[in-house]
Amino acid sequence: MSAVIETLGLRKVFGDHVAIESLDLNIERGDVFGLLGPNGAGKTTTIRMLTTLLAPSGGAARVCGFDVATQPSEVRRRIGYVMQTVAYRGLLTGRECVEIEAALYHLPRRDIPLRAEVVLEAVGMLPHADRRWTTYSGGMKKRLDLACGLLHWPEVLVLDEPSLGLDVQSRHNVWGYIRDRHVGGATVLLATNYLDEADRLCNKVAIIDRGSVVVQGSPSELKRAVGAEVVQVSTGEPERLRRAIEAERWVKKIIAGEHGDLHVYVEDASIALPAVMRLGLEHGINLKRMTYSQPSLDDVFLLHTGRELREVGAAS
Amino acid sequence: MTIEEVAQEERAPVDRAGTEGGDARGRWAQEVMALARRWWIELLRERLNLVFSILQPAIWLVFFGAGVERAIDAEVIGTDDYIGFMLAGVVTFTIVGNGISGAMPLLWDKETGYLDRLMSMPIARSSVIVSRFVFQVAQQTVQILLVVVVAFALGVRIATGPLGLAVILLTAALLTMSVTAAFSALAYAVPQHGTFFAVAGFVTLPLLFMSSAFVPLEAMPLWMEVVARVNPLTYAIEAMRTLVLDGWEARVATSLALLTLAGAACLALGTWQFRKQTGDRTQE
Repeated sequence: MSAVIETLGLRKVFGDHVAIESLDLNIERGDVFGLLGPNGAGKTTTIRMLTTLLAPSGGAARVCGFDVATQPSEVRRRIGYVMQTVAYRGLLTGRECVEIEAALYHLPRRDIPLRAEVVLEAVGMLPHADRRWTTYSGGMKKRLDLACGLLHWPEVLVLDEPSLGLDVQSRHNVWGYIRDRHVGGATVLLATNYLDEADRLCNKVAIIDRGSVVVQGSPSELKRAVGAEVVQVSTGEPERLRRAIEAERWVKKIIAGEHGDLHVYVEDASIALPAVMRLGLEHGINLKRMTYSQPSLDDVFLLHTGRELREVGAAS
Repeated sequence: MTIEEVAQEERAPVDRAGTEGGDARGRWAQEVMALARRWWIELLRERLNLVFSILQPAIWLVFFGAGVERAIDAEVIGTDDYIGFMLAGVVTFTIVGNGISGAMPLLWDKETGYLDRLMSMPIARSSVIVSRFVFQVAQQTVQILLVVVVAFALGVRIATGPLGLAVILLTAALLTMSVTAAFSALAYAVPQHGTFFAVAGFVTLPLLFMSSAFVPLEAMPLWMEVVARVNPLTYAIEAMRTLVLDGWEARVATSLALLTLAGAACLALGTWQFRKQTGDRTQE
């Protein structure tokens, strides 16, 4: 398999702020690759460099074999970029938006009407093609942007937070079009801070935090590396509980989360749950709440950074 | 056929068209026309905007010209046809006004982020500014023709006839090149639209009053005349006014040449600002 996107020591510095430390990515043809990380981790900066909108401060990045810094027009011809914010399209209809962008991609004039219909159909927007953009819902506007990103059948489709600001139904809708390969067989690079989005859509994920890759692999691989099920205990005395259970044979690892939560990684939650409860009672520790789960990408993030992605994301 | 199959089948020829270079000028023209189409649709859908912007200069000529005419000394302006004298000034005023309102979509694209989407496409960096130029020349040609019709109704006869009118339109287009490029450069240079309007508002009136739009050069105090003589607006006004009032004279050609130079300089400035602001590193 050949690398469609390849970065080596990619770096971006704004003044004295290092946005991207040193990024090594290797994205293969056909991948749906997720850049997962909290806000401010450097996802958008990375995407802006890969879409030639921002000059790297150091290192190299190649898209489809072309250097983003020295051969930007070759890169632009091969990528479809769907921005984080919905593109403003004033008083145009959906069809006009698509046709105008088709001309900007230099499609032959006679092919444009048909191609516009094909991509609008691909994202379920054909029935609404002749309505004005201003009458569209947030989800429809996003789908229109997606259609525009597909116009020239890009080799790489770059999606920056494709479901940001959408309601639940529209999110699932947009995911459906990406997941079911309505994107014309393009390799997909997707930035997100939604764990479930990365989990559902991506076959490979790079978790980035503070401008560098923390870990990368397939979601199932990464979750397997967490190695266990997670029992999450909420208590007023997390340290006492930790001391009470940490010597137990079934405990693999304990990480303190926020708000006095303990994440206890165990082999088998069905055995651990009653045991934690019993030990809590024996030591007179008041347990407020206890849940258990299969490891999620959140646990992967916690394992590698010591912080919870949800918390980091919500705080910024 | 699934989308994937359609894409596979169609992708190959598109790629070839891209890498072989194809007809670069044809592609550029396609970009400019596509962007200009976008501006046109927007203008046509905004009826009120359309009506007012098209009518505004003609209204100016009637209200301002007819009112002020009575207060003007024919000795000072060198003709008793003040409407004819004003015509060039009103056209210039319109061009400057269009330059400001014409930069708004660029500001808007920049602030809403659509500019990023455009910049991620394989388009020439000059296309956006040039499309504004093409659009504005088309829009103001309609405006100018309307002003001329109104002036005709008020008794103004263009000394150089229909051919002179064509040269007036050409002069207007040349000035538009300077004005559009300069305001586009400003739109891209400022951090946000508030600054744009503050600067544009600040320079517009002095620019107009420090030209021969309303007062002939000969009637100005010396310091004002010096400023007016380096103001590109003056060259456009002098050329158009000569064509309306006097006839074919050599100074028309000189004015056009200087306007062309100013236009080229502003276009270079605009494209440079654009590249700088969009972080572009290549010339295509």
